[in-house]
Amino acid sequence: MKKWLMGFISLMLILGIFAGCSNDDASKDLDSDDWKEWEGTITMWDGPRWADKDDNKYHWIEDKISEFQKDYPNVKIKLVKTPWAEMNDKLSVAIAGRAWPDIAPVDISGGSINQNHINQGVIAPLDDYFTDEDKSDFYENALEAYTTEGKLYGVPTSISVHAMLLNLDIFEEKGVEPPKDGKWTYDEFVEKMKALTGDGVDGFSTYILPGYYEAWPFLLMDGGYPLNEDMTEYTFDSKEAVSGLQKLVDLKYKHDVAPESMGGEDVGGTWKAWAASDQRTVAVEPWATWAIASAQTEDFKTNFMVAEYPTGDTGEPVTIGGVGGYVMFNSKGDAKKRMTAEFIKHITNTDEQVTMAKNYGTFPARISAADQEPFADNPQMARAQELSQHAVPVPRHENWARIDEAIQKELQLALNGEKEPAEALKAAGEEVNSILSE
Amino acid sequence: MGLAHLTVGTSPLDGVGYRLSSQSLQFYIHNYVLGLEGKWATLETKPVTTNKVEQTAVRNTNSLLKRMYKNRVSYFFLMPKLLFFFLFMVVPIVWAFILSFQEFNIMGSTWVGFDNYITAFQSNVFKISLWNTFLYTIVTVPAFVITALVIASLVQPLGKLSQSFFRAAFYLPTVTSMVIIAMVWRWMYNYRFGIFNHIIGWFGIEPVNWLGQSDSALPALMIMSILIPPGAGIIIYLAAMNDIDQSLYEAAKIDGANALQRWLKITIPMLKPTTLYLVILSTIGSFQVFTQIIMMTGGGPGNATETIVHVIYKTAFRDFKFGLASAQSVILFFIIMVFAIFQYRSLRDHH
Repeated sequence: MKKWLMGFISLMLILGIFAGCSNDDASKDLDSDDWKEWEGTITMWDGPRWADKDDNKYHWIEDKISEFQKDYPNVKIKLVKTPWAEMNDKLSVAIAGRAWPDIAPVDISGGSINQNHINQGVIAPLDDYFTDEDKSDFYENALEAYTTEGKLYGVPTSISVHAMLLNLDIFEEKGVEPPKDGKWTYDEFVEKMKALTGDGVDGFSTYILPGYYEAWPFLLMDGGYPLNEDMTEYTFDSKEAVSGLQKLVDLKYKHDVAPESMGGEDVGGTWKAWAASDQRTVAVEPWATWAIASAQTEDFKTNFMVAEYPTGDTGEPVTIGGVGGYVMFNSKGDAKKRMTAEFIKHITNTDEQVTMAKNYGTFPARISAADQEPFADNPQMARAQELSQHAVPVPRHENWARIDEAIQKELQLALNGEKEPAEALKAAGEEVNSILSE
Repeated sequence: MGLAHLTVGTSPLDGVGYRLSSQSLQFYIHNYVLGLEGKWATLETKPVTTNKVEQTAVRNTNSLLKRMYKNRVSYFFLMPKLLFFFLFMVVPIVWAFILSFQEFNIMGSTWVGFDNYITAFQSNVFKISLWNTFLYTIVTVPAFVITALVIASLVQPLGKLSQSFFRAAFYLPTVTSMVIIAMVWRWMYNYRFGIFNHIIGWFGIEPVNWLGQSDSALPALMIMSILIPPGAGIIIYLAAMNDIDQSLYEAAKIDGANALQRWLKITIPMLKPTTLYLVILSTIGSFQVFTQIIMMTGGGPGNATETIVHVIYKTAFRDFKFGLASAQSVILFFIIMVFAIFQYRSLRDHH
């Protein structure tokens, strides 16, 4: 009895804490035809985007909310401004307290929302609100990222890839020709990195950190992949994967073209070593596409070009891609769900994806948006968009966050020279197989 | 142990009293409680055990209730704080304990007994984190206490104004968020631009990849903890030192004791309760080290800087294994409790 009481009190407390971001309006069930008359509050979490003249980084979503509320005056969209760095943790806690928002921006392969949540009914399917015609406007791989067992669990808004960013000033200072059309083989890449290294400059650097995949295209360049097709077995200890990791490690220890700190966890330090005007000591680094937009801002104004990852045994410039979008969380009341889906449509339509591409540096997930060529006057983004055709997604396993960490931590040790590549990938396999067997 | 009849009444003495004979136990309970006055009274009760421990327990409970009733106004004012303490500390702790025996899912829970505890102890990462946290604690706690003691001892003889200045100077950094401190230290440990590699470069030593190598990452975090001024410890020690009776020092001086002897023979022994308090408090803090880890190393490279709370955090909020995370938390709770009891028994002032 006492345990029951304790549990009840604690649950009430947690619900109370999150009351501010929960659906506090009693949604009344209406007939599906009457959804436009629905009254209530839809809670949305969103992160900062690009700033307006008042340095407000939420102005885009605030404008969209105002527009929607004009069309549906009975609806109140409550925006919970959530910094990106806090988004995952806050969502995790909210889900644990069963007090999730109605809409949130989620990369479905990320840590906070994963396959488990779909299985447990936290995320609501959107198939009832998107016709086949609606869906046909999205790139297939973007839709696929939000599809589970044939059902759509989110609306993709952006596609991102990783690409090599080349500091052309350093190339010029060292008299090194950038790769023609941004294409190079691993051997050509090594030769250029050697020519760039010296006098306080390193040719190449990157970092290794759970959840980040800048270095992974090296591991995939010879044909390696972390899990088998049905995701029941670890395959990153294959000779192809070991060979890929060996090529990455060789840049540091054999060819001596990378700093000692390469392979650590310092994302900010790695970025500054390439982008900060007073610290530009690395000529080439791989980054996700947000970095292109950053390198074009006044703070990090850089003379740079976008290149492919070097090709290995597969002959393909493999890269890692990701898909961002909005998901709808489960709530009571069909009318409310219908209205929520309508708002999601409002912020993910073609025009908004073009706006997002131009201002936020992401590639549209809608074909109609890409057709408008939002990067016609931005050759660096346009080049990166071309790379997306070679993008490989990370496996969508429900325990991917744990699997990823097990692998990344061993990669760190390999990049530190504390373990041989084969030894590191084998050790990761022991942990990963135990996770896969749960 | 024996049979007894409980005898309740009044006595000319104030407070709690009891009489024990082979057949009866007579208690005096305060007038506030029963409103009784006059001679001793006897009530027939069920047979009760009357061994010494139980008598003491009854007497203590009785005494506590009486004191609480006597000070009921104070408790009234304390009530909001006690309520918050109960709701936000006691309830979550009890709930975490219950959760540790369950597999907690978002849509429901299953009772799994000790499975979570078994899983926790079978996990290599958890075992490594236990060891790392233990190492971190045994290095940083003595350093914290000794540094605080030495600095407080150097500041205490100064005048009031100087003492106030140093109090503020040492305490202000403590107010700074650990997130900011960690960010600054991360820069200081930077391989290429960091001040540490710059300094060791003066002596011809090769730069060290402080946070990037397994053998230097945990020591680097320990160095950081040791070099951050122990502001709270200094303030507490200064307050305690200022309370030591000066006549002790005067007597020692007359007996010919020099400054070091006075420090060793008077100051340190007199500060024993304060030292105990600081040791226990800083041990608890060290076992819960988290911000530095998440900000500076993420537990890496490999698992070199993995600590218990960081593992608990990941288990709960990344993997959504709340039952397992609760079991790990309960294990941490008992480890800290054992350490605290051990420290209390070792350092308590028997006088």
